[in-house]
Amino acid sequence: MSLTQRSAVVRRLIVSPGAAPQEPAPAVATAAGVSAVLRAFGRSPRDLPARTVVLLGTAAADPGIGPEHEGFAVRTSSTPGRALRAAHRELHTADADFALVAGFGEPDAQTITVYAVKRAAEAVAEGDTVIGLLDLDDGPADENTAPPLRPLHTGPSGTDPDRHRLLLWSGRTADEEQEVRGALLPLLSGVHRESFPVLPTTTPTGTAPGPVRGAAVTVSALASRAVHQARTSDASHPRPVALLFPGQGSQHAGMAAGLYRRDPVFTAAVDAALSHMGEEASRIRADWLDPARAAIGIDDVRRAQPLLFAVDYALGCLVLSWGVRPTAFLGHSAGELVAAVFAGVVSLKDAAHMVQARVREAVKIPAGGMLAVAAGEEQLLPYLTQDVGIAAVNANQQVMLAGSKEPLAEVAARLKADGHTVVTVPATSPFHSPAMAPASDAVETAYRGIPLREPKRPLYSGYTGTLMRPDEARSPRFWARQITDTVYFRKALDELLAADDVLLVEAGPRQTLTAFARRHRSVRLGAGAVTPLLPARTGTPEADRQSVLTAAARIWTEGHDLDLAAVSRLWTWSEPDPLDPSESRAPRARAEVQPA
Amino acid sequence: MSTTTATVTLADLTRMLRESAGEEEGVDLDGDVIDTPFMDLGYDSLALLQVIGQIQREYGIEIPDDAVVDAETPGALLALINSGQAPAA
Repeated sequence: MSLTQRSAVVRRLIVSPGAAPQEPAPAVATAAGVSAVLRAFGRSPRDLPARTVVLLGTAAADPGIGPEHEGFAVRTSSTPGRALRAAHRELHTADADFALVAGFGEPDAQTITVYAVKRAAEAVAEGDTVIGLLDLDDGPADENTAPPLRPLHTGPSGTDPDRHRLLLWSGRTADEEQEVRGALLPLLSGVHRESFPVLPTTTPTGTAPGPVRGAAVTVSALASRAVHQARTSDASHPRPVALLFPGQGSQHAGMAAGLYRRDPVFTAAVDAALSHMGEEASRIRADWLDPARAAIGIDDVRRAQPLLFAVDYALGCLVLSWGVRPTAFLGHSAGELVAAVFAGVVSLKDAAHMVQARVREAVKIPAGGMLAVAAGEEQLLPYLTQDVGIAAVNANQQVMLAGSKEPLAEVAARLKADGHTVVTVPATSPFHSPAMAPASDAVETAYRGIPLREPKRPLYSGYTGTLMRPDEARSPRFWARQITDTVYFRKALDELLAADDVLLVEAGPRQTLTAFARRHRSVRLGAGAVTPLLPARTGTPEADRQSVLTAAARIWTEGHDLDLAAVSRLWTWSEPDPLDPSESRAPRARAEVQPA
Repeated sequence: MSTTTATVTLADLTRMLRESAGEEEGVDLDGDVIDTPFMDLGYDSLALLQVIGQIQREYGIEIPDDAVVDAETPGALLALINSGQAPAA
């Protein structure tokens, strides 16, 4: 059974609520008990997901407990077993994103076992410690008995010397780094190629890495040369990481597919994001993984938007799984919704529904498109019409226009006649143009029922060009208007880079935002820096993995310490494709090697 | 299809790259950039098309749009322009 259909227990705690544990009376569920459950894991209820449900499994519930407590839904079942089953249903067929289950009288009459339960794919994507997966199939048929917890298997499942891997080394001084590198070289030329994937990731092992660092992303055959040629970096003053999420226009056929079933976090995150897209989800994934036979092309709004959302989100989860804690988030156009998920404004599920609503309404709008023009905003004002507006101001000489098909074609012709350089952005809807107004109004209605919270982490908005304010984040209208309003990406990036010198990491396909950032003064002068996660163009699946590892190497040589066990799954982990009978249990990715 | 009469040098190309990026936002083009991918220099396909358009106007030569795809570095673009045998798209 797929992770997306399962529930994971991510925390478990036994509490003794009574002040007098010697008292033989069993614990009774009271309002005070519910308050204690909400705080069981040391978090303030304010920090719980908006759609948290409390499930009490007790034979003795105080009738004074209402259906809501401190703003959270409360449900009562007669036993802990029934409450855990109810949690699974709440997470998969109702609204809940997080369930706190209180099993009264477990394991002793006076104690309560509190479980935190999430959808399993999201637990893996978000880096939760999975204590176990609720087994609702093979467990006892008796609803009253707690379902057994099964372990989650994410261990290495195959190694391949022809898969790119990371080699990291460091020293306290430049001389020491040279020494360490010198000792690594004969080891690499002497190692049996089958052993290459299992070599330690960092040298020297067993000590904290020093501030002079080197890194190589390589396959077995090229390892010595790659290590020999690698540059050294000063890692003594790491700049914080900020994540950038690209939007419409960055999609391409098979984008990031080289990471799917090759990294457990990326895979679970894509599956989790798509699982909230209803019946369409399996068709979206099929079209993504087999572009040659796709029923709907990637540039169509029905594929571009859901898949960009899933891929951007999964790449963000991947970087977080390495132990990186970004200092700020900024998304371009549709990417802003992904940034909002990471900033804690909206849950993954609700954000996926917002994407769906956007797509549903966008297809009702007469076909349109977008253009990128190598010019400043001012220069383009004379070309604007009632149907064609400024969609985005991306960089000094990079502005996007959007509008309905024919008026946009006319504007493109006029611009070209006047000597402007114009490129068509792959899009089937006129996003960020007045033509989208009816869609904007319709999605606003759909967004009203979604709990929106203020950002917990710095979130920059392309619509205001600065930090998103709490009232903006909580406003359905603010989010609905994004499909008609202009994106001021340049301004937002300016603000982000003015606040701090950061290492920007583009968490999405292509390198659109990386190119904008490289033209920014901060990056040009070396105060800030930027690294993409994926290749600039469509390449092989191995090129996707090589590119992601290069970004991990860049973050490490910047001075950030990475969870290397997590990073190493990119060359030690794989999951068989359930639809491909030719794949064995431990498939080997061969014949995709691209020598650097 | 086109035959070039003028030769475009790296200095010429660098000047045009700099001009197209504008004075405010530009890229570091000092040092050895001949084999640095345009993407690493901050030139996406739109910016590169703009530079190519400028070269065409200034030198009266024709460069196929495919050059953006084929030429990943300044060196490759110069070779393509100066070979004079750039095939038409």
